[in-house]
Formats: sequence, C-alpha cells, structure tokens
Amino acid sequence: MLEKFLKIDRRIIFLLLTLVLFIPIVKPLNLPIGAVSVDTKKQATAIVRHCFKKDLRVGVITFIAGATGLIEEIFEKVPQEYRKEYGKDYVIFPYQADYSAVLTQMGFDLYQIYDKDKFGTHPKNLPVMQGIKSYKDMGMGICITGTALLDGWVAFAGDKFKFPLGGGVTAVSQPGYGPYLQTGQLVGLLGGMKGGAEYESLLGIPGKGTSGIDALNLGHFMVVILILISNIIIIVTRYF
Amino acid sequence: MMLIKRYIPLAIVFVFGIMTLATYYIPPKLAQDYYLETMNKWINIVAAFAFLLALLSLFYSHYNKIKRKVDGWGYSIFVYIGFLVVVVCAIKSEGQLMTGPALTSLGWIFRFLYNTLSASMFAVLAYYIVSTAFRSFRIKTLQAFVLFMAALFFIIGKVPLGNVLWNKLFFWTNVSISQVTDWIINVPSVAAKRGIMIGIAVGAIVTSLKIIFGIERQYMGKD
Repeated sequence: MLEKFLKIDRRIIFLLLTLVLFIPIVKPLNLPIGAVSVDTKKQATAIVRHCFKKDLRVGVITFIAGATGLIEEIFEKVPQEYRKEYGKDYVIFPYQADYSAVLTQMGFDLYQIYDKDKFGTHPKNLPVMQGIKSYKDMGMGICITGTALLDGWVAFAGDKFKFPLGGGVTAVSQPGYGPYLQTGQLVGLLGGMKGGAEYESLLGIPGKGTSGIDALNLGHFMVVILILISNIIIIVTRYF
Repeated sequence: MMLIKRYIPLAIVFVFGIMTLATYYIPPKLAQDYYLETMNKWINIVAAFAFLLALLSLFYSHYNKIKRKVDGWGYSIFVYIGFLVVVVCAIKSEGQLMTGPALTSLGWIFRFLYNTLSASMFAVLAYYIVSTAFRSFRIKTLQAFVLFMAALFFIIGKVPLGNVLWNKLFFWTNVSISQVTDWIINVPSVAAKRGIMIGIAVGAIVTSLKIIFGIERQYMGKD
C-alpha cells in the first residue's frame, strides 16, 4: 500500500502543487511575514529606489537582450516617484553582446563602447555623465542577475580595476557567491526573495502584497514535505 | 586549403592569445592605448556576428525539421513566425520599447509575450522539480542525508514562513535560522565552492594554453 504511494502518478503531484500555488494567490492566507520582494526584478527596483532616495546618479547597462523590457518596466515608474529625469539623474545604455569586452573597456574609457544611449544621444552630452569616464569615476557597480554574469563582473571589473561591486542573485545561486563576499570582492549580496525583502525593510519600503509570497512559502514547504514523506515510507517499508 | 582552414586560424589564436595574456603584465596605459581599446571593440563586433551565425544555424536546423516533417515540426514554423513578427515590430518601433509613456509594439511583445512566456517556462520547471524531488530524492547514504539537511535548513532560512516556524519550534536553542544558514553559506559551502573554483581556474588556464599553442583544436571543427 505504502509502496504504491511512492509510484503515485506525477499528474497528482502537479495538481497538488497547482492548488498549493493557486489558492493563496486567489485567497491570500496572510502568513506572518515582513516586506515582500520575490525576484531579482524586485531587487533591482529596490536598489534603484535607494539610489534615487540618496540622490545618486544611476547608469544602467545590460548584456541580456531580454532584460531590456524589464529595465523599461522599472524605469517607467520609479523615477517618477522621486521626480528624477532621464539624462539628468539617470541614463540607460543599449544592450551589448559581449560582457567581457564591455566590462574591460569601461575600466579605461566607456565612451569607446557606449557612444550612444538607448535614444541614440551621445552620453557625453548628458548631464548625468558629466565627470564620468571609467570605473574610477563611479562609486560602485551593482550587478542584478539571474545568470552567472556576476562572476564576469568580479573578474573583469571588480578585481582588475579595484571597482567596488555588489550583487543581486537568485536564492539558488547565493551560496555560490560566498567566497567573493569573504574576500571582499563583493561588498554586498542580495540573495533571492529574502535578500530583497531585507533590503526593502532597511529602506523602509513596505511590502506590496502577500499572495505571491504565500504561494512561494507553501510551494517550498511542499517540496520538503514530499521528500520527507517519500523517505519515511521507504524506511517504514524496508525495516517494519 | 590547409593554410586557410588550419594554419591561419591557429596563427590568429596564437598571436592574439599571447598579446591578450601580455596585457596583464605590461603597464595598463600602454596596453590600453595600443591594444585593448581596439580589441574590445572587435570582440563586441565578433560576438554580434556570432549571434548572426547562431541565427542562421537555428533557421537551417528548423528548416530541416519542417522539410523532413519530423515529430513536432509544426512548432518550427513558429520559430520563423516569431522571428518575423519581432523583427517587423522592432523596425517599426525603431528599436525602442516605449515612446514617452506608451508602449511600442516591440515593448508590448517584450512585456506581454516575452516576459510572461519566460515566467511561464520557469513556472513549468517548478512542477518537474517538485515531482522529481518526491520520486528521486532518496536519502540512502550519509552524503545524501547531509545534502538534504543542508537544503532543508536553507529552505527554512530563505522562506519567511520557515523563519516563523523555526522561531516558534526552536526558540529554546537560542540559535536563529539566519545564523544556521549563514554558517552553511560561510563555512562548508564556501570551502566546497572555493575548491571547485580553484579547480575550474586551473583547468581553464591549462585549456587556454592548449588552445593558444594549438594543442587543443576541437573548436576548429573536424575538417
């Protein structure tokens, strides 16, 4: 009987997971949690908010073609909250294909690679870029990514040009960046949902909804419970 | 033919490999003025052409699937349709995702098709992870047990509900779940990761030297 449970049709597991994820979204359970930030997009949003709050100038680059849409989404709303203007307070550069060349070149003269912003204007003509030529003119770089790009930033920008770096990665990637944190190659690291939530808490930005987090909470626990159940069944069937 | 197919590519790899390596050991200003600036532009251009090559390869592969009517050949048609629609919209929108506060057709595709489809793909992945976790994660050895415990603590530590449960059930230990996950990240995980990183770095150096000196030639193909 118990062994049959181990061979359960995967469609039943799929249905169970659907219910676990769907019900809290339709009817939030309001599990006791703090601020909310579910992914790297939220991390990026929180960091841009923090920069604008401190009146820092922001420059955005990307090496992932698909990220341009996410960047637009963030900068469609956040600058308005802090009355920031494009070209004066922030600039968005177009997508570039190869990160190693761009990151190396930015250590010498970024205008040799970025000779126009996303609207085709030469960046040197923008007030936000006044006095900026290379890494040594910037306070720090923060790489928010769901890929392994942060390794490239450490190797080609941080280590080579002594450029202070921070990162924002998914929870599953976070343990892999521990060595960089210990050695100071990264001055800070946001890991997944919890890292984003902690950052938002530090900024005093309230959470914007709990339904997604409820689903995520329950989804994670479902994985753990299923693993435990299957292993308990194996032990019981084998020894009792 | 051997000259074009073998000796010239090998010579290019050797010369530029050695020169790029040398930039780390000569004054940065010299390297920047005479070599790196030009090379960085070239790398970017070559990378862009590599995309073009990949695109042609993708089209060729799907053309063959349609021609041979292999299983699921109908999906290959969508590769062409998708490409055509995005390119037409990109040309029409002049590559911009937004004009003022309004989305362009390219922006609409990114926000309502690309982003949502990407999210859907990863969401589907979650189903397979859960199913596989249940069916395959068997704690049969001590190593598997250690792996499971590390994963368990990590999940509890990274999910807010886990924090709440830990604080209620294990408050008497005077150890927070953050301390446990921080220890996992900072001690065993870093030790393992550092070992892997050193191994990868040594391997990359050896492979790079083999490529520069023409010992490793697989990247040139079989001809």
